[in-house]
Amino acid sequence: MNAAIPNASAGVEPKPTAAELASFHRLDGDIAGKTCRGLGCFVGRHLDPSRWSQALAQGTRIHCLGECFASPAVANGTIRPRIQARCPEPILLRRMERGSTRDFAEYARGGGGKVLERAFAEAPLKIIDELEISGLRGRGGAGFLTGRKWRATANASAPEKYVVANADEGDPGAYGDRFIIEEDPFALIEAMVLAGYAIGARRGVIYLRAEYPLARAIIEQALIDARSGGLLGERVLGGGFAFDIELVVGRGGYICGEETALINALEGRRPEPRIRPPYMSERGLFGCPTLVNNVETLVNVPWIVEHGGAAYRDIGFSESRGTKLVSLNSLFHRPGLYEVEFGVTVRHIVEDIGGGLRTGKIRGVLIGGPLAGIVPPHLLGTPFGFEELRSIGACVGHGGIVAFDGNTSIAQIMHQVFSFGAFESCGKCVPCRLATRCIESVFQKIAEQGAANFWDEVECAELIETLKRTSFCGHGAGLAEFAESVLRYYAEELEPCFR
Amino acid sequence: MLPVIINGRHIETRQGATILETCHAAGIPIPTLCHDPRLKPAGLCRLCVVELKGHAPFVSACTTTVSGGMHIETHSPGVERARRQVLLLLAHDFPKHAIADARQKPFLTLLKQYGINGGCSGFCCAPSDEQKLSLAPAGTLIDLSHPYIRVDMSRCALCFKCARVCDEVQGQNVWRAWSRGAATHLLPDAETLRASSCVSCGACVDVCPTGALEDKSVLARGAPVKWTRTVCPYCGVGCEISAGTRDGKITQIKPAAAAPVNKGHLCAKGRYAFDFVSARDRIVDPMIREEGRWRKVSWAEAIRCVAERLLGIIEDFGPDAVGMLGSARATNEENYLTQKFARVVLGTNNVDCCARVCHAPSAAALGTVFGTGAATSSFDDIERAATIVVIGCNPTENHPVIGARIKQAARRGANLIVIDPRTIELARLARLHLQLHPGTNIPLLNAIAQVVVAERWFDAEAVRDRVDGFDAFTRFIADFTPENAEAISGVPAAQIHSAAELIARHGPVLFFHGLGVTEHTQGTQGVMCIANLALLTGNVGKRGAGVNPLRGQNNVQGAAHMGCDPNRLTGSVKLDEARERFESLWNSPVPHARGLNALEMIDAADAGKLRALWSIGYDVALTNPNANVTRAALAKLELVIVQDLFMNELANEFAHVFLPACSSFEKDGTFMNSERRVQRVRKVIEPLGHSQPDSQILCAVAEAMGFKEQFNLYCAEQIWNEVRRVWPAGGGISYARLDHAGLQWPCPTGAHPGTEILHAAENGPRFELQQVPYEESAERVNEEFPFLLTTGRCLHLFNANTMTGRTPNRGLHSGDFLEISVTDADRLYIADGDHVSVRSRYGESVLRARRTDTVRPGELFATFHTAETLLNSVVGAGCDDIAGTPEYKVAAVHVGQF
Repeated sequence: MNAAIPNASAGVEPKPTAAELASFHRLDGDIAGKTCRGLGCFVGRHLDPSRWSQALAQGTRIHCLGECFASPAVANGTIRPRIQARCPEPILLRRMERGSTRDFAEYARGGGGKVLERAFAEAPLKIIDELEISGLRGRGGAGFLTGRKWRATANASAPEKYVVANADEGDPGAYGDRFIIEEDPFALIEAMVLAGYAIGARRGVIYLRAEYPLARAIIEQALIDARSGGLLGERVLGGGFAFDIELVVGRGGYICGEETALINALEGRRPEPRIRPPYMSERGLFGCPTLVNNVETLVNVPWIVEHGGAAYRDIGFSESRGTKLVSLNSLFHRPGLYEVEFGVTVRHIVEDIGGGLRTGKIRGVLIGGPLAGIVPPHLLGTPFGFEELRSIGACVGHGGIVAFDGNTSIAQIMHQVFSFGAFESCGKCVPCRLATRCIESVFQKIAEQGAANFWDEVECAELIETLKRTSFCGHGAGLAEFAESVLRYYAEELEPCFR
Repeated sequence: MLPVIINGRHIETRQGATILETCHAAGIPIPTLCHDPRLKPAGLCRLCVVELKGHAPFVSACTTTVSGGMHIETHSPGVERARRQVLLLLAHDFPKHAIADARQKPFLTLLKQYGINGGCSGFCCAPSDEQKLSLAPAGTLIDLSHPYIRVDMSRCALCFKCARVCDEVQGQNVWRAWSRGAATHLLPDAETLRASSCVSCGACVDVCPTGALEDKSVLARGAPVKWTRTVCPYCGVGCEISAGTRDGKITQIKPAAAAPVNKGHLCAKGRYAFDFVSARDRIVDPMIREEGRWRKVSWAEAIRCVAERLLGIIEDFGPDAVGMLGSARATNEENYLTQKFARVVLGTNNVDCCARVCHAPSAAALGTVFGTGAATSSFDDIERAATIVVIGCNPTENHPVIGARIKQAARRGANLIVIDPRTIELARLARLHLQLHPGTNIPLLNAIAQVVVAERWFDAEAVRDRVDGFDAFTRFIADFTPENAEAISGVPAAQIHSAAELIARHGPVLFFHGLGVTEHTQGTQGVMCIANLALLTGNVGKRGAGVNPLRGQNNVQGAAHMGCDPNRLTGSVKLDEARERFESLWNSPVPHARGLNALEMIDAADAGKLRALWSIGYDVALTNPNANVTRAALAKLELVIVQDLFMNELANEFAHVFLPACSSFEKDGTFMNSERRVQRVRKVIEPLGHSQPDSQILCAVAEAMGFKEQFNLYCAEQIWNEVRRVWPAGGGISYARLDHAGLQWPCPTGAHPGTEILHAAENGPRFELQQVPYEESAERVNEEFPFLLTTGRCLHLFNANTMTGRTPNRGLHSGDFLEISVTDADRLYIADGDHVSVRSRYGESVLRARRTDTVRPGELFATFHTAETLLNSVVGAGCDDIAGTPEYKVAAVHVGQF
């Protein structure tokens, strides 16, 4: 294949050595049998205390394996979650609901590739027009309008452009992207080809996290099959469009999910977030205009091309159109991966779909990972939508739903989240590098000694404010948002922690 | 202009400015630790955050570009509180014990400003055990291995400026980031800084805000209390430095702010190698040698002695029995006086300087072709050039600040072509490296011209408007095909073709050349061949283009230009053309007899015709080629006067009188750099002991010999004003103007801005293409002498090592070495560090071997710095027949185990 990633040693610009990069990343080698230390496993630790102890004792610290439905999790890759569309018009799970489509022939039999023929018959910008009509927003966290991103990248004139699928689904609680890749890999490939055609790119890259070895094996095979099946290559579907995709596997670094850090990782640099502007649509991978979308966002596109933007827009509500994957953790009666229409309430998701917790009352729900606010029980009536959740300090994020019960105190949650946040901070900016560590230490003290002192509380409040307002990227700011919502909604419970 | 509102004030700023730049321009101070105007904004310390109306999170001022109508609050209570918090976080990790010696550092100043005591913030944020483990290597790197730089990373605030300046300015990338999060730390690219790839430019120390990286000289001798701006005493780049003193001694040198040449950067020599000034063996008393023993005398006695003996020799043998050598280390004023002394007081044109052994061919060739024997453009053209051709020079070692600028240009995408027998550092970054055999510049450069002509890639318009002799040149050059050149030079014809294409079609093209072009029997012709290429491709007289010799010493351009040249007077005018003007200005006749150049003086000494030699800061015994013959000749002289800082080889073996001069740190004056820029040299400290500036010594002797009227010039500015009168192109360069910034000549009037680019006039003069036939060097390999040796300098040592040899630079470099290819070394059983003998038909030298891939089999490279090695005994008698410059760059030698 034509290598999308030039040799990292080419050119005169010096890059970090392999050893230096390895010191940044935390995974090296096989993760089989390793246990997960993510948030979903933490809140479910009482379901299997010995496994959780193993995770704490284990040399390699892993967040997360994408198995929150069976947490505390161990990497084995064979167990599957319940996968179910819980919406009138399934988009993302329309094939997956019926089973996996890992075989190219099966994909083709099910009408695979048809959407490409349809797209190729029209001008590339038609796809973008439809996307803009659809109101599709990024599913990776920020909720940016996808059509606008595509339009900007398409408008940039450059001899080379890239489509990058961000499959670094690191948010604790989320496992939707993992199962899209494992169960319906051609949906992603198809969507990337559409993106390449729409923006004028010939090269695509999938940046997949190392914690998903099965997804890796499946997408690797799918890429081979797609090439031999004519879905990729010099002449896609025998036409005049050339597109190929390279798979790059990460090495353990949550921050690589941030799109500019991801680009740095692909270029062989330290995966630290970059200053924007320039935006990826102007200067991304190797200085070329680059479209970076997360997996779930991309997989919406074939449906939109097939049914039109207006049909997509009819689904969902307010500024949140279409459907969303939500992934429920193991404490629910019915953990699993569900597709819901925007606009249902959080209560509908946790009670009607998840069936409530099997280990007691819900004490709070973390949606979309820990870089956003927590939803306390009295706000479960909030509609599931970008702005609606934002208004209570929470976020749609990646759609991971981690609910916790009476076995976990709010101070423990804070400690877990900040321990994760400090461990995964890239260290580039001062507040994130140091304040996360300080906040972690305060709550570690509470966890170990039962309480911290008044000054710790004052400092904590200051540090959270600083983290929120001065962090370089969303990592620090998101952690601060989480902390703020905890302080707001759980003040009563926290009060005795500071003496 | 963009209107913005900052703290309620309406301010206009330029499009594209950052908030930080806007605030600084408006005089609003914004605290920052990670910002440096030379570096790309990083936005990582978060101290420069400001509040934007309608934007909840703060934005970092250094990374945010202003847009019209922005409302910016730079010091709101929230912003100030956040800054204080960020500082508290950093202060917590800063070791308490380090506060005392870092009080002046920006970080400590900020802590004070925000009322924070370092090292004790009251936080309880001890790192977890896991973090402690991973922190261990970061917190504990305390490294004293480097002779100049103390590394104490326990003080590091991780602003990454060291790593960024090393990468973005020096291009070395020594400092590397390891790990992540709170465990992130920076380490050099080897176990210690001394063992790392560090080139000791000191840039990381200059930008470090906490003292994690600090000059050892400051720690040992205290921070300077006074700073004086002057010019570096080393190479011809002419970096401006800020010399810091305390108790009358230099304790630190830093790059001068906003210097046009070095732009805040320096190299291992200029930044650190200043201790020679106060070296213990500095001679600070005049001395006379009697019966082989030196006796300290008073200045009065020394001057009487010099005057009487010179008068005696002139009386007995005539004025042409005396020769004078000016110094490339001395100021323009002093070199002017030196040649004036020779011509007016002694009555001879026997005056020369070390330009003879380096760039006299450049001056001759550029003078012949363009009418001005100097660089046609400026260092600032490096950033404007699309293609840079580096021929026979090794800028990253010998002109490091320029080397760094070329490196950055190559990284930004300029095409770099290196023409050199060795794989020098720049060759590794180059689009093309034409690795020719030593001594084959002419056929190679001619072949490039041949391709340009044959492929019709020449700039037709430029050739029509500015160039003469094109048709004749076309006929002449036809035989110099790439294939023929390949056979002679060893450079593949295809590469020659590619080079021609780049030079002709990817302009503007900037040519730099060094002694690898000039120090050949066809040195002057080599420079002419470069000029031909520039003329054919339209690369003269415009930005980003030109032919520029990289001059070796701080004032070698000035020394010759002031008239230390047997055939030329001040301003590099020919004797016969300007004699009358000078005679009337000097109120003295100017001698007619043809003068001897530096090498002819040695021949004349050998023949008994030259009886006395007065050498100012120029060790001919060590640096002349064919050292054995040179020394025999020197021994025949009746009177050798050495004026220097140190008892150099010439003084030690041959001198009769020693006159202690002082260094450029101890006097006022001007230097002229490679790009024709005259810059002020300012007195930093008082002259040591009884040493005196060269100008004072010359005037005193002149007075003693009866020329008080012409030499009543005891102040540098007074001398310079006389220079301005005799040299019209320098007339506008007054000390008053130089106080603000250096000026590039021609600068004829007080209102003239100086000249960055020569020959820029559209209807300017026409230039003639030169037809240069190839004459093979007499230095050819044979059975007895199967290797070709070239010689040169290295990064840490300078020329005859009189200065660098008396500084800790010694510790960065283990003495002269011979580079030999691994293939040859294996064949001759030579291991790294072995002492090997290098023998030519002229002499022998012993030095240590370095096995390398930078030279090709059959070729060798050696440095010539030290007296112990006396490599010049191996270098032969060949010289350029136009400028008389010796053929240092080619010698057929034999190599063997010592």
